Amino acid sequence: MIDKHKQAFQEEARELLVELESALLELDQKRDDREVVGRAFRALHTIKGSGAMFGFDDIAGFAHNLEAVFDRLRNGHLAATADLVSLTLAAGDHMKTMLDEAAGHGAVDRARSAGILGELRQLTGLPEPQPGIAPTSHVGDGAGTSGLAHQWRIRFRPGPTVLLNGTNPLLLLRELRGLGQLRISLDTAAIPPLSEIEPDRCYLAWEMVLTTAAAPEAIRDVFIFIEDDCELAVEQVLDQAAPTPTPAILAPPQSVPDGRSAAGRETASSIRVSTDKLDQLVNLVGELVTVQARLSELAGRRDNADILEVSEAVDRLTAALRENSMSIRMLPLKATFARFHRLVHDLAIELHKEVELTVEGADTELDKTVIDQLSDPLVHLIRNSMDHGIETPEARRAAGKRSTGTIHLSARHSGANVLIQVSDDGRGVDTEAVRARAIEQGLIDRGAQLSEGEICSLIMAPGFSTAREVTSVSGRGVGMDVVRRSVEALRGSIDIGSNPGAGLAVTLRLPLTLAIIDGLLVRVGQAYFVLPLANSLECVELTRKDIEDTHGKHIANLRGELIPYIRLSEYFQIETARPELEQIMVVETEHGHYGFVVDQVLGDHQTVIKNLGRLYRNVQVVAGATILGNGTVALILDPHRLVQEVVQSRSQKKRSNGRSKSVNSQDSKLTAQFVKKENRINGTQSIQ
Amino acid sequence: MAKVILTVDDSASVRQMVKFTLSDAGYSVIEAVDGKDALAKLTGPVNLVITDLNMPNLDGIGLIRSIRANPACKGLPIVMLTTESQQARKLEGKAAGATGWIVKPFSTEQLVAVVKRVLG
Repeated sequence: MIDKHKQAFQEEARELLVELESALLELDQKRDDREVVGRAFRALHTIKGSGAMFGFDDIAGFAHNLEAVFDRLRNGHLAATADLVSLTLAAGDHMKTMLDEAAGHGAVDRARSAGILGELRQLTGLPEPQPGIAPTSHVGDGAGTSGLAHQWRIRFRPGPTVLLNGTNPLLLLRELRGLGQLRISLDTAAIPPLSEIEPDRCYLAWEMVLTTAAAPEAIRDVFIFIEDDCELAVEQVLDQAAPTPTPAILAPPQSVPDGRSAAGRETASSIRVSTDKLDQLVNLVGELVTVQARLSELAGRRDNADILEVSEAVDRLTAALRENSMSIRMLPLKATFARFHRLVHDLAIELHKEVELTVEGADTELDKTVIDQLSDPLVHLIRNSMDHGIETPEARRAAGKRSTGTIHLSARHSGANVLIQVSDDGRGVDTEAVRARAIEQGLIDRGAQLSEGEICSLIMAPGFSTAREVTSVSGRGVGMDVVRRSVEALRGSIDIGSNPGAGLAVTLRLPLTLAIIDGLLVRVGQAYFVLPLANSLECVELTRKDIEDTHGKHIANLRGELIPYIRLSEYFQIETARPELEQIMVVETEHGHYGFVVDQVLGDHQTVIKNLGRLYRNVQVVAGATILGNGTVALILDPHRLVQEVVQSRSQKKRSNGRSKSVNSQDSKLTAQFVKKENRINGTQSIQ
Repeated sequence: MAKVILTVDDSASVRQMVKFTLSDAGYSVIEAVDGKDALAKLTGPVNLVITDLNMPNLDGIGLIRSIRANPACKGLPIVMLTTESQQARKLEGKAAGATGWIVKPFSTEQLVAVVKRVLG
């Protein structure tokens, strides 16, 4: 690449020498034409400047001396003479031979260089030849490191007009951060009242502590462009070298006018605790929540003001404790995501593909248990994308795409869930191939009518793989169903969106935490259920008249919006006398707003999730169970699943005209058994 | 969207070098042969101007003054290319409103470092 630039310079320099020659010849006719002098000057100036850039130092140095003369001519300090013109013409010829030499033809008579310059000095009376092009220090070099890390306190107040000159002080701070560990506090004291603010003025100042091995010159060098236009103080904080880059505890900078800036977060000190202890803590908090529920129940029943007061205090503390211990377990996804860069890099080499990984939302926090179990499914998804999704560079070019494929990993919060998405810009899912393969493997009937989404979810069926050959990376058909199972074990769900030819996006919806949720306790007949509060929107009443108005269709009119509802007593086959006034819990789901009709809404309930036994592990609509204050078991419902089941069973019924038994009916039956059994147990308990 | 840098220089080799280096660093580079040409090209979106000082028609100082006088280009970063010997010109350029400068000769690393400093 450099050679290419050199070539360009040589051609350009030759053109410039021709230009110089013609300017000089013209100058010989009109000795005092400034315009012509200017042309000659610019030609020499460019030869000098560009020559030095591309490593033609002797040419640059030589041209520099000539340029100096023409600068004086230009400024009128010197008059052009015939001798000067002919000498410069000779110098121009000499530069041509220098170019020739650089291009590999002939050799330069060094003595001649010195001779011309000597004559030039005699002629113009210039002092000692100025040093040609002195090596100068700039950004990026000259900023040597002193080896040991020191701490520097930097006070930086840019002048009020720096913004107008195109300076962005934040970029300078960013550059400083590149030198080492930087702690910044902002001084906003100089901001005037709103009425006096001029929006393009800078009123801010920064106080920073930088821990770096770089020399102080390197720090000052960052501010070199505005050194005359800002207040800058750089002083060393500690005399002894800091052995590690971790900052020592420093007193808050004195010039920070008050405590509202960074003084409070001076050090984020931390201790390491084994995860076992954390798990134990969460378990204990879980038990405490249960006991606390019993206490409030008891206090409510006794109706004793003293006990009630204590119970409420315990209630508040428990909630705070729960919140706190949960947040301790939260970790950013950063570390998990970071590992994938290496994976992508290695796989790309193995598969002979060009792939880059982009990451978004790595700061999103998730429960440690979830993160630990998330790594494998994500590895699967990325492997899949790289092996099946992203095409070879040749195929990509043929399809008119960039030869480098992209895998995008993103995480974001959505209510009580975290959405993690792995998307690629590969070929997407070939729905026809998936369909054909599924028929081949006996997963679906030949005549089955499936929607795009349903075909995509076939990918996750056990043993399914469209890869014609088994590669070392994937294709053995243990991929997607493993992913599905691990995600479901985390109480999450998977959504696959494919855009044939343009890529695939797999979205994992995961709960923030596994152990405890905020729920709303509802009653249907004798059975209690908990609905996650995060999804619940509102409770409304459902009267007999409302039901008559909709002719028994399961639809409620909520302020003009028609909301389909599911009657839990019907779904779970609970025999109950329908009360005069029922309540609808309106819940937000993937399928839009849905209502759940219950007999009574009892109130919010902190819920410690207990898993159901092995027998019930295939029951999807129940996320777990919890024990209420009075010892009753309440099932925790998963509204997403519940609605999905109902929607699916409806569409299945439509297709098969009720011939086949739907998954839903099995599911609700199992749950119904559970509910009945629970009721029996509760019944015996109450007898005791 | 890649940030757009306008390189203004009457030397084709310098323009080529700037364009090459900065395109490599992920910027989008357009070229102008002198100040006048640059002003014409400033009507489009430009995030940074890198200008030589000595140019025919309209020189670098004149270009900087014109840009600073144009409210549409408020706060536009301008980096000038100077040489060691042009100390006075550098001060003139700063007074006219240049954001920063690069002393010729410069390496590709220095160029990218300065662009990062003023443009991010």
